Amino acid sequence: MDLQSRLSRLQSQVGAENRDTEPKSQLSELRARIAELEKRGRARKQRHPTTAPALVAGAEPGAGSEHCGFGGEQIAPGLTRICTRYPLTGTLGSIELHSLREPPQLPGEPGLAHLRRVYLDTETTGLSGGSGTLAFLIGIAVVTETAIELTQFLITRFAGETAMLSALADSLGPNDQLVSYNGKSYDLPLLVTRFRMQARRHPFAGLAHLDLLHPTRRLFSKRWPDCRLITLEQNLLGFHRIDDLPGSEAPAAWFSYIRNGDDRQLKRVIEHNAQDILSLAVAHQVLAQAVAQPDAFGVDLYALGRWLVEQDETGARELLQSYRERLCDDATRLLARLYKRSGNWSQATALWEHLAAAGCVESVECLAKYHEHISKDFSAARRCCERLSNNAAHEHRRRRIEGKIAALRS
Amino acid sequence: MSTSPEYMAPVASDPAAALAARLRSGYAARITGELVVPAQAGRYAALPAGLDPRLRKALAARGVERLYTHQAAAWDSIQAGRHTVVVTPTASGKTLCYNLPVLQAILHDQTRALYLFPTKALAQDQVAELTALNQAGELGVRAFTFDGDTPGDARKAVRTRGDIVVSNPDMLHQGILPHHTKWAQFFESLRYIVIDEMHSYRGVFGSHVANVLRRLQRICRFYGSDPLFVLCSATIANPAELASQLIGAEVHAITDSGAPHGAKHLLLWNPPVINPDLGIRASARSQTTRIAKMAVKGGLKSIVFAQSRLMVEVLTKYMKDTFDKDPRHPARVAAYRGGYLPTERRAMEKKLRAGSIDCVVSTSALELGVDIGALDVCVLNGYPGTIAGTWQRLGRAGRRQRTALGVLVASSLPLDQYIIRNPEFFLGASPEQARIDPDQLLILLDHIRCAAFELPFRDADRFGKEDLAEMLKYLQEQNVVHHEGGQWHWMEDSYPANSVSLRSVAEGNFVVIDTTGGAQTVIAEVDYSSAPETLYRGAIYMVQSAPYQVEKLDWEGRKAFVTRTRADYYTDAIDYTRLKILEQEKRSLNVSQGEVHLVRRIAGYKKIRYYTHENIGYGNIDLPDQEMHTTAVWWQVDPDALFGESGAFRSRQQALDGFLGAGYALHIVAAMRMLSEPRDLGRAVGDGNADWFATVGPDGRGALLNKDGEAIDLTSVQRFTPTLFLYDNYPGGIGISTPLFQSRAAVVSGAQTLVQACECAQGCPGCIGPILASDEVRGYSPKAVALRVLDLLVE
Repeated sequence: MDLQSRLSRLQSQVGAENRDTEPKSQLSELRARIAELEKRGRARKQRHPTTAPALVAGAEPGAGSEHCGFGGEQIAPGLTRICTRYPLTGTLGSIELHSLREPPQLPGEPGLAHLRRVYLDTETTGLSGGSGTLAFLIGIAVVTETAIELTQFLITRFAGETAMLSALADSLGPNDQLVSYNGKSYDLPLLVTRFRMQARRHPFAGLAHLDLLHPTRRLFSKRWPDCRLITLEQNLLGFHRIDDLPGSEAPAAWFSYIRNGDDRQLKRVIEHNAQDILSLAVAHQVLAQAVAQPDAFGVDLYALGRWLVEQDETGARELLQSYRERLCDDATRLLARLYKRSGNWSQATALWEHLAAAGCVESVECLAKYHEHISKDFSAARRCCERLSNNAAHEHRRRRIEGKIAALRS
Repeated sequence: MSTSPEYMAPVASDPAAALAARLRSGYAARITGELVVPAQAGRYAALPAGLDPRLRKALAARGVERLYTHQAAAWDSIQAGRHTVVVTPTASGKTLCYNLPVLQAILHDQTRALYLFPTKALAQDQVAELTALNQAGELGVRAFTFDGDTPGDARKAVRTRGDIVVSNPDMLHQGILPHHTKWAQFFESLRYIVIDEMHSYRGVFGSHVANVLRRLQRICRFYGSDPLFVLCSATIANPAELASQLIGAEVHAITDSGAPHGAKHLLLWNPPVINPDLGIRASARSQTTRIAKMAVKGGLKSIVFAQSRLMVEVLTKYMKDTFDKDPRHPARVAAYRGGYLPTERRAMEKKLRAGSIDCVVSTSALELGVDIGALDVCVLNGYPGTIAGTWQRLGRAGRRQRTALGVLVASSLPLDQYIIRNPEFFLGASPEQARIDPDQLLILLDHIRCAAFELPFRDADRFGKEDLAEMLKYLQEQNVVHHEGGQWHWMEDSYPANSVSLRSVAEGNFVVIDTTGGAQTVIAEVDYSSAPETLYRGAIYMVQSAPYQVEKLDWEGRKAFVTRTRADYYTDAIDYTRLKILEQEKRSLNVSQGEVHLVRRIAGYKKIRYYTHENIGYGNIDLPDQEMHTTAVWWQVDPDALFGESGAFRSRQQALDGFLGAGYALHIVAAMRMLSEPRDLGRAVGDGNADWFATVGPDGRGALLNKDGEAIDLTSVQRFTPTLFLYDNYPGGIGISTPLFQSRAAVVSGAQTLVQACECAQGCPGCIGPILASDEVRGYSPKAVALRVLDLLVE
């Protein structure tokens, strides 16, 4: 029995369950067997909706004629480079772009004059990670005296990836600092994977990397519903994107281009990537301003204080001191601790008294310790202890102080 | 079987032997066979000359001054660069066979090793053992488990610092291979891959694992390493063959154990006949309970193996009713089975090792080498279905070189009765052949997907025995891969390993959620394939013999909501199977082999009261049909030979009864001959077109049901062509029907012998299935009609 009649017999036997619309004559025997098995064994799964476009026989988009309909130039087979210059004039949202001329500096960030900031963002073929996911678009930008210079590398077929990774490596130097948004968890690991897949050494080894998601979270996670980049744009940069292609649709856009040359959605991905990187560069500057003028940006002072403490205690103390009247209790406690650490007992005790009056047990304890060990005013220490509840630790302290008072008397 | 000459009289100081003697003298009629494996002295070899002094020191600290002969043979084979499989009994020091060469290589060459165990529990045991050896010799070797329980922040340390990574095939499949670039250093220096409990990789699971290993080897080649495989297995007939199918290369087998062991008594126990006319025996359950109670009362640590999770819970309840009546005392009896949460199982293992439990009732979940310490008595409630499984369960008793007692209690199931009445077959037969089919199309396709995600295929690549290019073109049509420049690139926004489960062809476990008192607590997990028959609405689901009733089953969400209940019954599902022949591939007279479409429906359930086991009600089940496409062997008989002038039957009813009885006998013999797990093979009688199928009705007669499971009249069927199917019980088949078709003559003649030689008069559960008392009275012989059908099946 030939294959066609075999297939038609099989299909007539399975009657109503047959929903196969593929042209039977083009299926090899093996493929027919798999198709049969999949249909019946796993009718539940439905991995591949039938709406997927048909593959044009033998066509590999971009294979014969490399076209560059993206306003860029082909710099290697399968690799397009798109360069765009955004002069530092005008505004992005509520931000004057000329403010970017002065390099921003966040707490803990190396502020060396010769360090170049490279803003980076990628678009990938999948969001779940793993070695089968690749970056098809890598955008990097640097800020000069006069402009944001954006370079986007787009691969127009799989073969272009090697050249793209080379181009990226060549664009980076030892004095660069990468700046990204969630790049530490996402973009960089994925790029490292791609370099390994190509059996090449990746160029990120000695490079500093600032992931702006982290300071954003520190300063605003209690103020905003989430810390996605578009939330930052709305709250900090003062604009909403219009007609933006969501990042989750990027994989389908590239696949669609590779399969049948349809570049409509891919163009929107390129714009989306450019927008991400512009926002990134501006956000860096604005975050630095927010640290300098926290009240103007609605920054959580306690969070900022805790962050600054890690870098510069004096700076943190001076900041909190300047907002002393407006601090929340947590921030006040932090300021008191900073005073204590700098030996400024009078300021520290003043704050503790203030907090203790409002019922802060921790501050009463701090006062008790201060009076017991520093001022040696044991009766004041005892008065503090009397305000504390009766747990074992407090009881222990009370007895010790009583002992010291008794020892003085005897 | 007669008592073996090596038998030694029981000594009072040997309680297991004393219990054996008591059973022997008190219940001689129930014991159909007895085997005494005499104690064996060890055979030893010197530690290998090249062994690192630090390892020598570590061994000495653990009291090891020399090796067993099989350990030395494994060392030599591995040092000679041969893939090696070690096949020796439980507790014969298998782990040293691989730990020594692995540790030596780590100490000398800074290489790495990957250990794979079928379960997480075994992996954790292994790390504990390695740690002990490591500390004893101050070796500084780092061994870590890497599995679903490894916390996210510890994973990087495992990848970069682990000398030995201990994992399982599922984790390799879903967590390691798809992220191989993170493991680059590990793969570059990977020297040994150790696969323990190899015999558990058979059937569907084994076929998947063989493909995971193909992927692993492909990744190793990418990183320039070519690791050596060391495998260990319980006794099976074809270890070298299975090993070589799993890893796709020649494997040297070491099968001669030099380890000493204590004496083992094995009693084959058939429950007494309580209705001689019908051949009905007392239940295995009652016998098992009695023997286990005697053992516990005699101060012996015991393990009882049951065939199903349900039976574990029933037996646990009966044992607890005797020994755990007072809730103020710590429990002496415990249940152990799959489906409990990992923490609960770990806690149970700990109690077992500490000896604070006197009796554990378990499914095969404890069959594998989970360390539970020394036990004296092992009672098998029913034949485990395979000889290797029987020996491995029996190996749970007697780990400390003292006398161990095993009792195999036969159930009324035919396979059990076949085994128990033919002990020489059981005792003399070479154990089962483990079969896998790594090129099963659906399984192969799954792993080609996963492999394509991990590394692009090149045009000249091979993966499995099918035509890879054709498979990839098929995937390209589904927009999963894309062909460009001689390579096939992954082209989908997904992570294929997540949708492929190694344990089944179906997917998606169900969670059981206790909603008693308004809370929602997950109390168990049930795999997809057993969910329909255990989690239907109304089912009694038991955890540690506490009954819960299923209030709601959310099929799509894979959740069952249960509440605590005080029901005095348990539930048992009733299922129907319909088959339709899709394509006949081979035919020889009455017998054919080919592809079939199968629909299984769980139609309802019975409520069965505890202790009396009376049926106290039915319930309906409304669940989607389970469908699959598989392969089968089927028998049909020319209608002339059935009902013609010189035909064998006068009525359709007789013929149908004959087919049902013959099918019952054929199924027993085929399962034995194929040495497959009984559930791997299904049986059905129908018309081959799924218009009707046959079942035994409450009156003991064959009855026909239509597509919707409604009874139809035998005479209303136009063309009556009863067809007897034995089918491969997995989607796409897992390679049983071809050998079954080849040995069809032996299967039919075996079934004839089974029925003819059975001592019953008109039929019994040991040959053609249970019959009714009324038949006995009326002199109607289902046995005779079954034999007539079998005669017609002879070629």
